[in-house]
Amino acid sequence: MARMKFLCDAERCIECNACVTACKNEHEVPWGINRRRVVTIDDGIPGEKSISVACMHCSDAPCQAVCPVDCFYTTDDGVVLHDKDICIGCGYCFYACPFGAPQYPQEGAFGARGKMDKCTFCAGGPEEDNSAAEVEKYGRNRLAEGKLPLCAEMCSTKALIAGDGDIVADLFRSRVVRRGGRPDNWGWATAYKD
Amino acid sequence: MRLIILMLGAFLLSACYEDTDVTMHKAGVYKGKEDSHALSAEERAEVLKQRFNSVQTDR
Repeated sequence: MARMKFLCDAERCIECNACVTACKNEHEVPWGINRRRVVTIDDGIPGEKSISVACMHCSDAPCQAVCPVDCFYTTDDGVVLHDKDICIGCGYCFYACPFGAPQYPQEGAFGARGKMDKCTFCAGGPEEDNSAAEVEKYGRNRLAEGKLPLCAEMCSTKALIAGDGDIVADLFRSRVVRRGGRPDNWGWATAYKD
Repeated sequence: MRLIILMLGAFLLSACYEDTDVTMHKAGVYKGKEDSHALSAEERAEVLKQRFNSVQTDR
C-alpha cells in the first residue's frame, strides 16, 4: 500500500515561494494562515539552503497522540487529516508538531483562536469528496481526482516531491548518486520513523 | 395566569439540563466522521503512481 510522503531537495530549492502561493490559491487559505512555508537557513551567507516546510504527515504523528478530542486520523495512503467539527482549537498539536504545521485562524471580534488548519496533502477531510463542505473547511481534494499535491506538482525545479514514499526515495537516491555527496532528505528522520 | 407561570418556569428549568455523558480520551482512537473514498486504497495508489511518473520525475 502506498505511503504518501513529502521530500524537499534542499540542493534544488531556489526559495521562489511558488509552493506557498500555489497552496494558498488552490485551497483558498485565509489571511494569516500558511499551510506551507519556505525556510532559509543561513540566509545571505554563501551556501544558504532553503527548504519548503508543511505538515510531513508523520508515520507516528505527535499531533495525533496529544489531541485531547481525538480529531486526527491517518488515511490508507498515510495522510494525516483531522475533523474540524471536533477540533476545539486547544493548540496542543501546535506544541507537539516538530514542523510547526498546525495553524489557527483568528475568529470573532476578539480574535480568539479558531479551529486548527494544516496541510492536507491535498486530500481534503472526512466530508464527502470535493463536496462544498469539504472545499470550504479543508480545501480541494486533489487525491480524489487522481492528482498529487499542487505545491509539488508545480515546483519548477522539482525540489519539492510528493508521492508514494518508495518512489520518492528512489527518485531522490538517483539524484544523489548523479550529483554525488551525502543525501540530505530533510525532516525524514523526524517524520518517518519506520 | 398560574398556568402561564408554570409553563414559563418549566421552560426555564429545562435549560438547566446538563448532558452527563463524558467523552473519554483514548490516544489514537479517532472520534470524527468516517472518510470514505470512491476508489480502494490499491486503486488510488496505482492512479497516483501513474500521476507521479507523468508530472514529478526528473526531466
